[in-house]
Amino acid sequence: MVIVTSFTEWTIVKSPQFIGINNYIFLIVESAPFGSAIFNTILWMLIAGTLHVIVGIAVAIVLERRPVGWKAIRTIYFIPNILPGITLAYIFTLLLNPEIGLVNSIIRFIGFKNFYQNWFGDTNTAFIAVTSIWLFYAGLLTILVMAEYESIPESLFESARIDGASSLQIDVFITLPMLRNIIGTCVIISMLAMLKEFAFIWATTKGGPGYSTYNLSLYLYKLSANYHNFGLANTIGTIQISIGITVFFLISKLFKIGKSFIS
Amino acid sequence: MSTRNCFQQVLSEILKYSFLLIVIFITLVPFLWIVLSSMKTNQDIFGSPMSLPKKLTLMSYKLAFELAPITKYYLNSIVVTSVTTLTTILLTTMSGYVLSRFNFKLKNAIVIVFTSAILIPYFSLAQPLFYILNKINLIDTKSGLILVYSAFGLPVRLWIIRSYFLTIPKEIEESAYLDGATYTRTFIKIMLPLAKPGIATAATITFIDTWKEFFFALLLTSSDKARTLPVSLNYFVHFFSYNYSTMFAAMVVVTIPTIIFFILMQEQVVKSLASGAVKG
Repeated sequence: MVIVTSFTEWTIVKSPQFIGINNYIFLIVESAPFGSAIFNTILWMLIAGTLHVIVGIAVAIVLERRPVGWKAIRTIYFIPNILPGITLAYIFTLLLNPEIGLVNSIIRFIGFKNFYQNWFGDTNTAFIAVTSIWLFYAGLLTILVMAEYESIPESLFESARIDGASSLQIDVFITLPMLRNIIGTCVIISMLAMLKEFAFIWATTKGGPGYSTYNLSLYLYKLSANYHNFGLANTIGTIQISIGITVFFLISKLFKIGKSFIS
Repeated sequence: MSTRNCFQQVLSEILKYSFLLIVIFITLVPFLWIVLSSMKTNQDIFGSPMSLPKKLTLMSYKLAFELAPITKYYLNSIVVTSVTTLTTILLTTMSGYVLSRFNFKLKNAIVIVFTSAILIPYFSLAQPLFYILNKINLIDTKSGLILVYSAFGLPVRLWIIRSYFLTIPKEIEESAYLDGATYTRTFIKIMLPLAKPGIATAATITFIDTWKEFFFALLLTSSDKARTLPVSLNYFVHFFSYNYSTMFAAMVVVTIPTIIFFILMQEQVVKSLASGAVKG
């Protein structure tokens, strides 16, 4: 239904009418928010697939060395992932609030007395502010990587140690290649999550200022709920589905998911 | 050489623990700040956002409960989440069992359809869903939300439960049949207890996903009748406008029970997510 109606003109006063690829042409040529929506979506997906995943893996590898209290730290690190995204987003609206927010107060406290930055309201910082809500909270990925880590045979590490490899060398040349499958999965999970992210943006900027934090999901919601332009909303849905499936197969291929490493 | 090695070891220990400290700091500080701020008065919040409260007060909590129907939202969330979890488990254990044990026409087709449904970002289906629910008068009802959440959860949970059934050896059932147990009896008395870990995984994931869901809760509700907790936060801004201490209090009331529940259940949650999310 989504794909078929993406080729129709369908609004609240008009039943679906076939108009070919006009919806797609309208989005690309005329629609003002579409450019930034697709740009932001892809940029966020790239950040999620790289930086966000690296954070998750780094925490997992450090925790796997079993430092004091690693279990408690794992639990604490997972807390932001167990909460609804919207809660996190609201906490960050308060944290980054220009008057009462913690971040601005700290900056004022360390010397810049008249510092004032409206993080979510300024075109230059809004994108970074929205990114900061989720970038460091990779608890789910950490748990996935740690579970996979435990399935690596201990003998591999031992023989490497006997051959005189340092722990950094072991991490880079043994652990990471052995974790390839799960890392690929993590990249897919994070990228697809960002493809459909909505709550973070809705709760903080609603796409503004201007169109600087628009993404596809937000645009879809606005087209559907505010403008009742269902045909166009479904066009966005179709684009999302195609991006999602493309990313899935591309990353699976890139990481050779499902194929054994040793063979 | 040995002093250098020793030095390196100390350095790596220091690096390790400072890294972990940063991780804890980034995670916990926002929550601690919210809790502290909720016990301050509004003047304190505006005067010195960083300092400890001068005088602890719980007034803001009282006000938060008076201004917003938080208990109602909690109840909605609990009803929607538990019924969704029950429905999903009921449907997936039965269908998962059949799909893992019996051969019949179109069985593979059914499995493929369900598996490929996992790939579709369900967000994109928002509009047709709204349209359908509107036609059958389920907009702004808890049943509407339950229906949508159960449907979206099915493919992944079915996969988890089916793969779990596949790991149970067939001989167990065969001996049950030999002993004269009926089909239904074998399923309820023998297979379900054996599949408990798989079911627990699926149930936990369903529970968490439904508890967190925001987009459809926003799209498909329009009054306090069916609004769940995540959506209610959206309206706190209206309820409390610039009354920040009350907003902080409401935030605490919404987040802390979830966190406590998670800490109590963490073993199960971590295990479920580790085994379930990969498959999803």
